[in-house]
Amino acid sequence: MRAVAQRPLLWIVSLATLIAAYAVVASVLQRPDVIPPASDIVETFRALVAAPPPEGAAPMEGHEGHHHHHSSDQIETLQQERVTLPASLGISTLRVLFGLAVGLPLGILIGLWMGASRRADDYLHPIFVLVRSIPPLALITYIMLWLGHSEAHRLIPIVYAVATTAVIPTYHGVRDVAAKYEVAARSLGAHGSLLWSKVLLPAAGPAVLGGLRYSIALAWMTAVGAEMLMADDGMGNFLVGGGMWASRLQTRSDPAVIIVGILALAAAGWAMDAVARLATARLTRWVR
Amino acid sequence: MPKVRLRRALVALLALIAIYGIAAEIGRGRLPDRIWMGSHYVENVQLLPTFGALAEEGTFLLESRILAESIVASSRRVLIGVLLGSLIGILLGLGTGWAMRFEHLADPWVTLFRFTPALALLPLYVAWFGYGETSKVLLIATGVAVVALLGAHQGVRGVPRAYLDAAASLGAGKRLVFRRIVLPLALPAILASLRIAIALAWVTIVVAELIDAKMPSLGYLLALSGAYPRVPQMLIALATLAALVLVFDFAVLLLHARATRWMKRTAS
Repeated sequence: MRAVAQRPLLWIVSLATLIAAYAVVASVLQRPDVIPPASDIVETFRALVAAPPPEGAAPMEGHEGHHHHHSSDQIETLQQERVTLPASLGISTLRVLFGLAVGLPLGILIGLWMGASRRADDYLHPIFVLVRSIPPLALITYIMLWLGHSEAHRLIPIVYAVATTAVIPTYHGVRDVAAKYEVAARSLGAHGSLLWSKVLLPAAGPAVLGGLRYSIALAWMTAVGAEMLMADDGMGNFLVGGGMWASRLQTRSDPAVIIVGILALAAAGWAMDAVARLATARLTRWVR
Repeated sequence: MPKVRLRRALVALLALIAIYGIAAEIGRGRLPDRIWMGSHYVENVQLLPTFGALAEEGTFLLESRILAESIVASSRRVLIGVLLGSLIGILLGLGTGWAMRFEHLADPWVTLFRFTPALALLPLYVAWFGYGETSKVLLIATGVAVVALLGAHQGVRGVPRAYLDAAASLGAGKRLVFRRIVLPLALPAILASLRIAIALAWVTIVVAELIDAKMPSLGYLLALSGAYPRVPQMLIALATLAALVLVFDFAVLLLHARATRWMKRTAS
C-alpha cells in the first residue's frame, strides 16, 4: 500500500520540520533565556550527563577551555548538588517500577474481586469511587505527617495512582467480557481454580493489559510530581533543580535544562510503553 | 438502581464513616501529636481529627468564605483548561483518525507530548508564560489535549469499515459521512477520554497552584494546611478536591447519556 511507504517519509519530514521550526524561532527571537538554541540544549545535556569533577580538582581554566559554554543558575545548582541526568532518570525509573510492581497486583486483585462477586461490587464500588477521586499528589503531605520524611511519601502516591487506575479495566474485563464465558463454563461443570485459570483470567486478560499503558503514564506523572514537591533526587528534582519544598518552584529555571529533562522523560516513557506494548501483544496472541 | 444495591452502598458508606469516627476517637490522645517536620517539631497535631474538629474547621472555612472562593477559583482554572485542551485535542484527534497523511505528520509531535508527564512542562511554561494564570491553564490544557486527542483518534479508527463503505456506495460525500457516521460513532470514545482527562486536570492543578501561590485556590489551601500543619483543614481540602472530581465526572457522564441517547440500549 502506498500509505505504508509514505509513513516513514512523512514522519521524518515532520520531525525535521519540528526541529527546523524550533531553530528558526530560537534564532529569530534571540532570547536564550526563553527559547534556548539547539546548541545550548546539547551543551546542557553534555554538562549534566556526568557529574563535574570534585571541587578544587578542576581549575577554572580547564572549564573555560571548552569552546562556547552554556551555563546558568540551574545548571550550577545541579552540578553543586552533584545531580546528573542518568542518576535522576534512574531513580525516577525505579520509583515508577516500584509503583507498578506493587500497585498493579493490588489494583488487579481489587478489580477481579469486584468484577467477579456481585456482593463485593455492591459494597466496595461506592467506596472505590470516593477513594479514586482523591488526586494522588494531594495525599503527599498527609502521608508525610504519618510516616515522616522518607521514601514512603513519594512511593505511596505512585502505588495509589497505579492501583486505582488498574482496577477499572480489570473490573470491566471480568464483569463484562468474562461473564459471558463464565455461564457457559459453569454449565459444563467448571468451577474453582479451573474456572479462574482457564476461563476468567484469560478472558479478562486483554482488558487488564489495555489499562497497563495508562497506568504507566500515570505512574510517571505522579513520580515526577511527587519529586517536584518533595524529594532531593529524581527527575522532578532535576527539573526544578535545587531549593527546597514548594519554594523551589520560585527559583529561576533554565529552559535548556527543562527541555533536556523533558526529552529524557519522554524517551523513558516511550521505552517503557514499548515494552508494555510488546508484552501485551505476546500475552494476548491467542486472541487473534 | 435496584434496592439491594442501594442498600449495600449505603451500608458501605455508613460503615466507612463509622470506622473513621471510631478510629479517630481511639486515636485521640494515643496517636503521636508531636511531629518532626524535617527541620523542627510541631506540637498538637491531630493525625486523625475527630468529627468535632472537622466540623469546627469546616464551619470556619465556610464562614470565612475561604472554601467557596477556593472552589470557584480552582474550578475556573480547570474548566477553562479542560475546554481549551479538549477543543484542540478533539479537533486534532479527529484529524489524525480521519486522514492517514495527517496522522503521520502529527505522529512525532503526538509521541513527544504523549510520553511527557504534563507536570514536567510546568517549569518550562513558567519560563515562557510567566507565573500568572496563563501557565496554569495552559498546563491543564496540554495534559487534557493529549488524552482527548488519543480518545478522538481511537474513536474515529473504531468506526467499522463496513459503515463507511455502505455510506460511500449509497453516494454519501466525505463531509456527510464524517458528520453523520464518524462523529456520532466516535463520541463515546471521546467522552470516555474526557473523563480520564478531567481526573488528570485535577491532579495537575494541585501542583500548578503552588507557583505564585495565592489564596483563593484549593492547591494552595492544601499546601498551607501541610505547612502548619493543620490536619482538619488538610482533610477538608482533600475531600473538597475529591468531591469536585466527582462533580466534574458526573457532568461528563450526563453529557455522555444525552449525546448517546439515540443508541439502542438493553436494560441493564
